[in-house]
Formats: sequence, C-alpha cells, structure tokens
Amino acid sequence: MTWTVGVDVGGSFTDFFAVNEHDGRTAVHKVLSTPQNPAQAIIQGLREMCDDHGIATHAISRFSHGTTVGTNALIQRKGARVALVTTSGFRDLLEIGRQTRPSIFSLQLDHPAPLVPRGLCFELDERTGPGGEIVRSPSDVGILETIDRVRESGVDACAVCFLFSFAADSNERRIAAALRKGIPGLYVSRSSDIYPEIREFERFSTTVLNAYLQPVFDEYLTTLESVLGEIIPSAAIGINQSNGGLTSIGTGRDYPVRTILSGPAAGVLGSIHVALESSYKNVITLDMGGTSADVGLVREGEADLSTSRDVAGFPVRLPMIDIHTVGAGGGSVAWIDRDGLLKVGPRSAGADPGPACYGRGGVEPTVSDANAVLGRLDPSGLLGGKMKIDLDAARNAIRLVAEPIGHSVEATALGISDIVVANMVRAVRRISVERGYDPRDYTLMSFGGAGGLHAVEVGRMLGIRKVVVPHSPGILCAMGLVVADMKEDLVRSTRLPVTDGNLESLRPVLEGLAKDLDDWFEAERIPGCDRDCQIALDMRFVGQNHELRVPLPDASVDSAPSGSRLTDMFLTEHRRCYGYANADDRIEIINVRLTGFGRRRRDSSRERKRSNRELKCPRPVTVRPVLFDIATDTPADTPVFDREVLEPGQWLRGPAVVRQLDSTTILGPGDILLVDEHRNLVIDVS
Amino acid sequence: MSDLTIDPISLEIMLNALRSVADETYNALTRSAYSTNIKERRDHSTAVMDANGRLVAQAENSLPVHLSSMAGLMRALLDKYPGAEIREGDIFVSNDPHVAGGSHLPDINLAMPVFVNGRCLAFVCNIAHHADVGGMVPGSIAGGMTEIYQEGLRIPAVKLFDQGQLVRDIFDILLLNVRVPDERKGDYNAQIAACRLGERRMQEFAGRHGPETLETAFGEIIRRTEDRLRRAVSEIPDGTYSFEDMMDDDGCENYDIVIRITVRVRGGRISFDFAGTAPQTAGNINAPINASHATLCYVLKALVDPDVPNNEGVLNVCEMIAEPGTLVNCVAPAPCAARANTCQRIVDVVIGALKDALPEAAVAASNGANTAAVYSGARPDSGETYVYLETIGGGFGGRAAKDGTDGVQVHSTNTSNLPIEVMETEYPLRVSRYELVQDSGGAGEHRGGLAIRRDVEPIGHVCNFSGQGERFRHAPWGLFGGSSGKTGRFALILGSGRETRLSGKPMSVEVPPGVTISAQTAGGGGYGDPEKRSADRCQEDFDSGKFSPEFMKRHYGFR
Repeated sequence: MTWTVGVDVGGSFTDFFAVNEHDGRTAVHKVLSTPQNPAQAIIQGLREMCDDHGIATHAISRFSHGTTVGTNALIQRKGARVALVTTSGFRDLLEIGRQTRPSIFSLQLDHPAPLVPRGLCFELDERTGPGGEIVRSPSDVGILETIDRVRESGVDACAVCFLFSFAADSNERRIAAALRKGIPGLYVSRSSDIYPEIREFERFSTTVLNAYLQPVFDEYLTTLESVLGEIIPSAAIGINQSNGGLTSIGTGRDYPVRTILSGPAAGVLGSIHVALESSYKNVITLDMGGTSADVGLVREGEADLSTSRDVAGFPVRLPMIDIHTVGAGGGSVAWIDRDGLLKVGPRSAGADPGPACYGRGGVEPTVSDANAVLGRLDPSGLLGGKMKIDLDAARNAIRLVAEPIGHSVEATALGISDIVVANMVRAVRRISVERGYDPRDYTLMSFGGAGGLHAVEVGRMLGIRKVVVPHSPGILCAMGLVVADMKEDLVRSTRLPVTDGNLESLRPVLEGLAKDLDDWFEAERIPGCDRDCQIALDMRFVGQNHELRVPLPDASVDSAPSGSRLTDMFLTEHRRCYGYANADDRIEIINVRLTGFGRRRRDSSRERKRSNRELKCPRPVTVRPVLFDIATDTPADTPVFDREVLEPGQWLRGPAVVRQLDSTTILGPGDILLVDEHRNLVIDVS
Repeated sequence: MSDLTIDPISLEIMLNALRSVADETYNALTRSAYSTNIKERRDHSTAVMDANGRLVAQAENSLPVHLSSMAGLMRALLDKYPGAEIREGDIFVSNDPHVAGGSHLPDINLAMPVFVNGRCLAFVCNIAHHADVGGMVPGSIAGGMTEIYQEGLRIPAVKLFDQGQLVRDIFDILLLNVRVPDERKGDYNAQIAACRLGERRMQEFAGRHGPETLETAFGEIIRRTEDRLRRAVSEIPDGTYSFEDMMDDDGCENYDIVIRITVRVRGGRISFDFAGTAPQTAGNINAPINASHATLCYVLKALVDPDVPNNEGVLNVCEMIAEPGTLVNCVAPAPCAARANTCQRIVDVVIGALKDALPEAAVAASNGANTAAVYSGARPDSGETYVYLETIGGGFGGRAAKDGTDGVQVHSTNTSNLPIEVMETEYPLRVSRYELVQDSGGAGEHRGGLAIRRDVEPIGHVCNFSGQGERFRHAPWGLFGGSSGKTGRFALILGSGRETRLSGKPMSVEVPPGVTISAQTAGGGGYGDPEKRSADRCQEDFDSGKFSPEFMKRHYGFR
C-alpha cells in the first residue's frame, strides 16, 4: 500500500504521476486523452504505467484525479435540462442578473442566456427576511403544486434558490426534501447547501450551474468508480476541486460545480510542491500554454483564494484558487489594430491550424512564429523532432504584420515577444501589486509549453530576481494532485459587530461550523491525526460592501477571539490592500469561514539520492544564432543545452537555450542558471 | 514636447501600462468605497490626463458620461490655477456643472497632479457618484427642483489637499452639507487613496520610460485614436441626417420637450447640430454641454468603432453645435441632476438620425431613460437617516441581427443593480418583485427587449420616495417596421391591491408600511417587419411566457 497516483485529464493529454510513499520513487506517464470517454485513457494509462514501472496495482493506496468533465459540459452546453424553483416575484432573477451588458460600448454583445429557460423557472410563495426571519412559509398546497410542475416539465435536475436562504434555510430545505421524495431520481441542488453566502444572483447562478452539471458528472464518476474498483480496489479516490483540495467521489457527485476550475488549480498545487521542496515559500506561478496564460500567487506555501469569478460568462461564487487568465499563449495571433498599434492576442490560432511554423496550414503570425524567427525554437522541431519547424512559413507570417508598420521581420518578432510579455506582466500585476503584494519578493515559477520561452523576460520586467522552471513542467498538474490534501470549505453569512473584549457572539457560529466539519471528517473517514482546520473572517467597515478576508491562524473553534486583536488585523489588511484605514470606524464581520483539511501525510524521512559524481561544466549540444536585441541587429551565436543531461549543481551563464521534449527555456545575456538538487532550473535574472 | 517618435510596438506597451494604472485605481476605488453607488453599482470612473488636461487613458469600465466631465474639470482647474500654483501632493475636488466642468452635482470629481523631477507630467482623476450631496431632497436627484442651488452643494475646482496636507476647512464644508457625512467621508477617503495610488504608479511608470518619452506617447496615443475614429467616420455615407424625439416632461409640468439633431457627415468629419432643440427648462433634466458631448462620443463609438480607445482623440472628432441656454447646453442656474435621462434620449435621437446611413449598426429605441428611484427615511431601529438610490434597467432596442436584450441597462449607463439581499440588509426596505414585464418589448423581425418591474415596500417606517422616470409618455419607437415598446410608470399599490399612478417624476412621496412603490421601465422598440419574425422565435416568445397569447396573435398572427 505505498503508491499515490495523480491523474490529470487535459484536452490533449492525460498525464500520470506516481510516487512511492516509502522510498520516494516516482513514475511519470502520458497518454492521449479520450474526450468521448475520459475514463478510457485513464484505464489505459494506469495499466501502462504500472507495467512499465513494475507497480503492483494493489499497491496503489491513493488515486487523485483532476477532471475537466464539468468544464467541458458547460462550454459545450451538454449539461442537463434544469428547472428552477424560486421565491415568488423573482423568476427572472437569473436572466436580469446584475442588469448590465458585458461591454458598455457594444450594441451587439450580450451575456450568455441562462442555463434554465424561463419556462422552467417556477415561483413558490415564500419569503425569508434579512435577519433569517421567516416572513412566509410555503403552503403545503404550494409545495405540491410546485412538485407537479417540476415533474411535468420532465427535467433531470432542479435548483432550489430562495432569497435569504443563506440566513435561514428551512424553506429551501422543505421544498428540496419534498422534491427528492416526490420525484425519485431527480437531482436537486439547493443554494443554501451549495454555498450559503449573501448576494442572490451569484448564489443562484452557482447553484444552477451545479444542477446543470450534476447528471453528467454523476454518470462519469459512476463509470470511473466501477472501472477503478476493478483495477485498484484498495485505492482511496480523490477528486480535485477548484479550491486546490480533494474531495471524495460521493461529495464530488453532489457538488460538481466545485471542480469547474480544478485544472489550473492543480498546476498551482504542483508549483507549491516543487517550490517547497526547493524552499521557496513565496511564488508567482505562470502557466503559459497554447492559447492562454494562467497566473497565480502563493504566499507562505499557500495559494491565494478568491470567491468570485466568472466561468464561461456565468458567475461562480465558491472558494477557488485565485488564478488570472490572459489570452497570451504560443498560438496567440499578432495583428494590427485600426490605430496602427501592434497587438498580440487574445485570439489564438489554437492547435489546428496552429502557428504557421508548425506547417499545418496556419498562415497567421503567432507568438510561436516570432520565437521561431528569433531562433528560440529548435529548428529540428519539438517532441524530439515529431513537430518540425518551418522557418520560411514563420517569416512569411510575421511579414504580414511587419510590412504595414515598416519594421523588419526580426524587429517585429522581437516586438511580438515584448508585447506578449507585457500582457503577462499586466496579468501578474493583477494578482500581486493590485492585491498589495510586491512581485519583487516572489519567485516566478514557470511551466506549460511556452512558459520557459518568456518567463525570464516577464521576471525581468517585474523586478523578480529568481525564475524557476521545474524539472517536469509538462506534468506539474498531475504532480500537484499527488500532494493535495482533502479539503472542505464551510461558510456562514452573518453580521456581527466587532466590539472590544472577546467576541462571544462568534462562538455559536463557530460551534455550528465545527459540528458540520466534524460530520465531514466522519463522512470522509479522515483519521483524527490528519484532521486540521483554519478559521477566517470576512470583515469590512460598517457601510462598505467589499469584505477583506482575515485569516486567524492561531484561533480555535472553542475560544472567542478578542475584538481588539481582530480590529488590528483588519486594519493592517485594509492598509495593505488599499493604502489607508480609518481606525475610528466601526468594523463588522460578514462571513465566518471554516476550512477543514484531511492532511496528506508527508514522509519527511524520504531522502533524495545525492550525486557524488564530480561535476563537469555542461556542454552545449550545438550552437545556433538567437536574436535578443534589435540594437545589435545580428543574432548572437548561442549555446543550446539538452535538459536531460543537466546535472544537479551544474551552472551556466546566458545567453543560452535549454531544450527538452515539450518545452524550451531561454536565458538572456547575463542570466545565470543553476540546476538545483531536484533538477529544477533556477535562473538568476540579470 | 520633444521630437521623439515612438514606434507602434513601444506605444502599445506604454498604452497597456497606462490602462493598467487606470484599471488598478478603478478596482481599488470599487473595493474600498462606502456608497452602494460606487461599490455595487460601479457608478465611478478613473483616468489619466496629460499635463495639459487632455484625456489619455480611461479605465475599461469607466462610464461614458464621465469621459468629458473629467476633461471639463481639468479645463476649469487649469484655467483657475496657473502652473506654479499646482504643486506635488495637491488634490483638487469639484462637482459643479456650470463652473467646474461637471455634469451633475452627485458626481464628485478628484484630480491629482503627478510630479516627476519637479515637473508636472500628468494628472490622475477619478469621479464617483455619491449617494447624497445635500440639497432639497435626499439623494439629491428628484423632480420639481428649478435651480441648481436646490440640488445640493456646489463645489468649484478647489484644493482638498495642499502639498499633501488636507485642507480641513474645505473638507468640513463638504461634509457638513451632506446627509450621511460618515458614509461620504468613507467615499472621499477611497477616492483620495485611488488618486495617491495612481500618482505612485505613474511615477514608477515614468521611472521606467522617462517623462519625455511619456509626454510624446500621450500625444501619439491621442493622435492615433483621432485618426482611427475619423477613418471609421469616413465610412459613413456623406450626407445630412436629421431626427427628433421628445422628453416626457421635466418634473415641473412642462411636457413634450423636443430634442432635435442634424448630423452632417463629410469626408471623415462629423458634426452634431442641435438646432431646433428646446430651450433649457425649469426642471432638472437639463444637460450641461459636457454631458451632451460625452453622450455623442458614446453613440458615435458604439455605432462605428466600439473598440476605439477612450481618450481626447474621441472628443476631438465629435463636433457639437448647440446654443447655450438649450436643453442640451444649459447654463446657470439650470438644475441638471437628472441629465442622464436626457443623455439617453440624445442617444436614441442620434441613432434615429443615422438609421438609414448605418442600418446594420442602428438599433431601435431603447428604454431611453435612467430610471432612478430614491428611498429615504429614518431607520426604525436606530432612527438614523438613510438614503438609497437605485437605477432600473429596461428593454434594449431590437437589432439588425437579433432581438433587443431583456431587462438591462442601456446605452450610456451600465451600472449594476444592488443585490436584493444586500439592499434589505442595509436598508429597512423589502423588494416584493423584480421581474420582466410581459408584452413590453415592441414586435418586430427582431423584437425589443422587455422592461423591468421592481416593487419595493418600506418596513416599519414611513419612507420618502422620489423618482425620475422617462419614456412613461413617449414610447421607444421601432425601426424599419418594428413596433414601439411599452411605456413605463411609477405607482403605489395599496394593501387592497388598488394601484394609484404617480407622476413620471414624483418628489418626496410619503409611503407608509403596507404600501408598495412599483417602478416599471419601458421596453425596447422592435426592428424590422414583425411578419418576418421566424416561427421558432415566435414559439420561444410564447413558451417563455414573455408575451401573452393575445399579443402574439395581434402582432404576429401566432396562435
């Protein structure tokens, strides 16, 4: 019972990473994804990996899984037919939303149509008030009529969303229970269960999304559970969530919306793992792929969370790893705007036809074409030569934008690279500077196919001194899954003034949350020694409407924290985020959060084999001209190294190119690279 | 200015950084403000101006009407203060439409110079709509007022900070004249913090590129935008296009107030001539020239090039001709709190004029209003005064390729609603209905969007209600054969269910508990002949319940 396996299903590949908890051995595997039935690739890959590495299937004790089944069903609109039961007078709430248009100047753009057509929105006469008081209970007749209407509509799933259910959920509970009883087999999602937080539209939207995904997700998990049950019957299965923690299959079934951004979340977890191994606690992650770049921020080994975000145009309010996505990838297309400025992205040439340099019929100039022109991509091609580079096609593509702005092909290619870097810099500023964190205090961790090509430049523009490219940037997500904890976020929306003295009013709220958390620990069968929890409060000045989250690292659920201490912590946080705080103003607590963890036991005795061999300076496999600066105008002869032969302890000075199977790392003149003991490339930015 | 030239690549990178400054200050202001107007409805804007007061970059989510108010403040400020009197650490404040370039009093304007190497390089500005600026009625927006003095405190361009020091005397006057000073103080603090953040970011930015390069870039950005928009304008067929529509009333019993426009297009130049528009009126729907000009910029952009950057170049292209003393170019002491309604109508009128020149881009008339409802009173628990303002969306006009959007803010306003759960938590009010209005969208090949109905009832106290409605008399017209949308109304609904209709601009109506205030906006007009509406769309209209069987039969012969 010694192996933990992480499986990340992506659009193109299904990645595997396994670690032996005893001796630290690892195994890596990659197979093509099977989007029609993702479980197929999982089974195939699992079998192959076990065969290749001599892993006995019964020795696999944990199986952690990241999936895009939910995300894909949403994007392709392949979810369930959903009905909505809501408070009388508010059937149009989903459609009106915040009554805004996505872009003020566009007369044509609209928000996506709601996932529940208006004909399937049913009103029930009931009402709860802001203090949790029940203004009107639904009548028995009303409930029976509603059940009939839902039944007649023939839907697969139903969302129950009442106003103020976060404050008192009894009305919602009653109708949800009646629906379950009255219509066997109906999937029911209720807003006070999905995420009981104030702001009706966002809560309703999240709940409807959950209902929409439930049948699809349940079917998938049922298939997966039964096939895994045959191959690895003794493994505990964990499903990755957008908050960066795992959950059981049972919980995953009930809350598919929690997985909606689990893919990028796993990447951040993988980064944390790599960073902690090499003792970096503060890291900005940059995952640059073909179509976009995801950036995230890790403080003291923990990812920043955000609770509001749009997914495919729908607001989702749940704790999610705070990832900012920008349309900057290898396939991002360069174009000239109407005012003559050169732009890059957000449109991407995608995988098909893709960048011109890959010779699959693409003609538009992309970031990859610019990199090809600059000599940064290996002319012999990627994936060990499977994807050849067509330099002429790349030059022809870049010429399309070079001529109108009167620049040479080379200068334009450098410009495209500079602009895509600037776009990523802006994204990093969003999650760092704009949140009150100085990127210069952070290490930049770069992964994804295109990350290494631009990471050092992004770091340089932000004043970041160290850039780390992990040993296996292509399987970082799968790696993240292996180290993830079990995690459950609980919240109560409440309004408590922060007063002097101990906050006794907080105690019953915390006790209620603690009880729910105990239920979760029991349900997930998490042993006592692995249980852990964190308390955080969302606080604001009375009269403000945006809350700041203040974590209470040393608080426990059975003691009431002191008001003056909370005040200090809040004021500090407010100053950090907004540059000011009015010490005289009253402060209130809006949400109380309790996060439970089932900590994954980490074997600290694991020791890496250190190499005793004498280190030689790495030897370049070849030399090729690479253009770094248009002022010099001539490409510098630049040494190219193979990643595979770089040994821990070796170092080299840029300019240099480091190539590996699925990615390339570029060092500018003066940058210094050291291979650390975990084979990560650690680059000191000059 | 130096003779440096900047290539299109460096310029793109600098523009990117400038927008980043504007966006960052915008987000900081959203998150730290106190007024629901700012924090939830996002009725605020931020921008970077050059040392000459020209608008260089605006935050992505800034509101169109704020575009030229900022430019107006800068003109007033630079006229009043010679260069030597503008010093590092100063922050200027203003709101007055008649002497300080504002567009109505609740929009408080702040501007801070950015000094680099002892020289003023730029200004960072922000505008935020405060929930109250004093005056005759809570919320400072209601019908019935005839002079700007009744609408609240008038602030000319003055220093709120002098070289980093708060001018306490000014601040005390500002706060004494408003109804909920603690809340306003929070808003000012958020605006001040946003200015300082912008100053810091601009200084860092100048440190990277050098102030001379930035000055050159400012000019180049504006020039390129102007060229770009002129090219787009040159694609409008040359000609003279006219249209007129009417405002319902001004809240002082003057009805059917004409807005007339003649648009002249010739070779990349476009002028908007308001000859024939009514004189300024007694009530508060007068628009200061900056508000009207900003509206023209909005509608031109929306019609020909929605993605053109927002800067001085856009203002330069839109030539506006309007006599002072008219509805669209009012002079002191005209009240203008509800100028947004007039601005919305200007949009409809311009689109009406250009419909034949730009039939693909044109849309039928929309809600065409900035329907505002202001609730105030004493909280039953504490007795403290509260003031709460909201604006309600309506139907968007039918479009060339699709239906108008249902229940949405239209055209030059795009402010969010306040979540009902937040509203009821903060104010002693209960919302009993928030829904689309059946049959309110005009029929057409592409129908108009539906109006919104929002019913609110006071809890445990007598609420003072004031409202600003438009398109309650003059329905949003259809285009190319589409029919009109339905007009809106304000009403009181008594416990018995009986409905009493209020005027379009009710002022200080006392509403006891048990009585419901019902606001209903207008639906959009339809686009194209209803006969051409596809059977599928008709079926959908029917199934969704958005239209009654009678309506479907009457307009489409659908059964």
